[in-house]
Amino acid sequence: MRAARPLAALGALLALLGSPAAPATGAERVTLPAGEFTPVVAPGPEQKTVAIGAFALDATPVTNADYRAFVVRHPEWQRGRVAALFADSQYLAHWRRPADPGPAAADAQPVTRVSWFAARAYCQAAGGRLPRWYEWEYAAAADETRRDARADPAYRERILAWYAENSARALPPVGKTPRNVYGVMDLHAVIWEWVEDFGGLMVSGDSRNQGDPDKLQFCGAGALSAEIRDDYPILMRMALLSSLEASFTTANLGFRCAYEVTP
Amino acid sequence: MKAVAALLTGLAVLAAPSRAAAPAAPPAADPHAAHHAAPAPAPLPGGSLYQLGARLEASDGTRLELAALRGRPVVVTMFYSTCTSVCPMLTLAMQRALAALDPGEQAAVRFVMVSLDAERDDPARLAEFAQSHHLGAPFLVAHAGAADVRAIAAALGIRYRQLPDGSFSHASVLTLLDRDGVPLARTQVLAAADEAFIAKLRATLR
Repeated sequence: MRAARPLAALGALLALLGSPAAPATGAERVTLPAGEFTPVVAPGPEQKTVAIGAFALDATPVTNADYRAFVVRHPEWQRGRVAALFADSQYLAHWRRPADPGPAAADAQPVTRVSWFAARAYCQAAGGRLPRWYEWEYAAAADETRRDARADPAYRERILAWYAENSARALPPVGKTPRNVYGVMDLHAVIWEWVEDFGGLMVSGDSRNQGDPDKLQFCGAGALSAEIRDDYPILMRMALLSSLEASFTTANLGFRCAYEVTP
Repeated sequence: MKAVAALLTGLAVLAAPSRAAAPAAPPAADPHAAHHAAPAPAPLPGGSLYQLGARLEASDGTRLELAALRGRPVVVTMFYSTCTSVCPMLTLAMQRALAALDPGEQAAVRFVMVSLDAERDDPARLAEFAQSHHLGAPFLVAHAGAADVRAIAAALGIRYRQLPDGSFSHASVLTLLDRDGVPLARTQVLAAADEAFIAKLRATLR
């Protein structure tokens, strides 16, 4: 964290210098160290853990203001211009105009109603990529003091309470939840988030099932060997992501970007 | 006035790096637009996979844009060469669909197999695969980079996951694309010829 301060100051300076042409946008990035991680759903019958390489992650989800700057620079991603292959008809439907979120989508709220293709294009333009699921889950296992707080019932209860509370109200602005030990915010309480490999999450870990359409399409969490069977928030998130197509958009589905770091 | 102009120039220079971060080509652009000035091809329909900007490397080492397949109907699937369980059936299903066509029809279609194994299925391995399965023209067995594999699979609705042993669990799907790369039909029937799919393919070739 000590190194982050001069960088932030430099960032602020650059933002000031560049402001007339390019408004300052984009979240703060934090670096997560490499680690061994036990995901809720094991990667395979004989393997319980995955090795996560060091990577950087946006501390908060991408906001309407960030996304507005992106569609101004890349008009092919504006509502009305985006190809049907890349986004469904509800893409950015809540924005006032194609390049103007308007009052229904505040600058500091996370951008939602964006497709996987759109999220990916945004991250690519930002020099990054979407996080992979294991990276996302690794980041989300932490609380304010521990890298893996999942065994603590109090931690789980708090996350479940967040889900219950937030489903009914308007999206909160980003950056209002506590920073976890890595400095990442809003992983649980705010929105669903796209990941690069969303389509493979609930695919059976038994390759003999491949190609059997019935097994493949309908094997749910019950058919997978879940390591932490009562981690409902994670299983719920995996189920939701698995049900999406890459052009889908929903009112609670946004994203943040990940970045490679040089070791 | 001169001072203002100098200031603006300075600001433009300062702002330039952020603009340079933009990708070189928007995904919707025709990748060949820069190379041939004479008659511009019609814009692609909104549902066309050829807007992905994906690049392939064929088993003979040829590099091509996915969009270079435009012009002929295509039957496309995703597989990996070391797959021993279902991919042989998938390959057989492709061959069966081809065999259902008469020679004239066969010459007017492409059968494209894109590997899910971006890391290991290099052209040499794919050439070996194509040879051992007797996949000559009109087959194209191809490798793509990891990001392009994800995009193509996403556009085709093919779910997959790499397993710890390096194999893939994946949906086995044949998709028919029209001459512009728009999906017209798909089938997951592998054990026997899917008559409805083949009828649609023949109708597209007419």
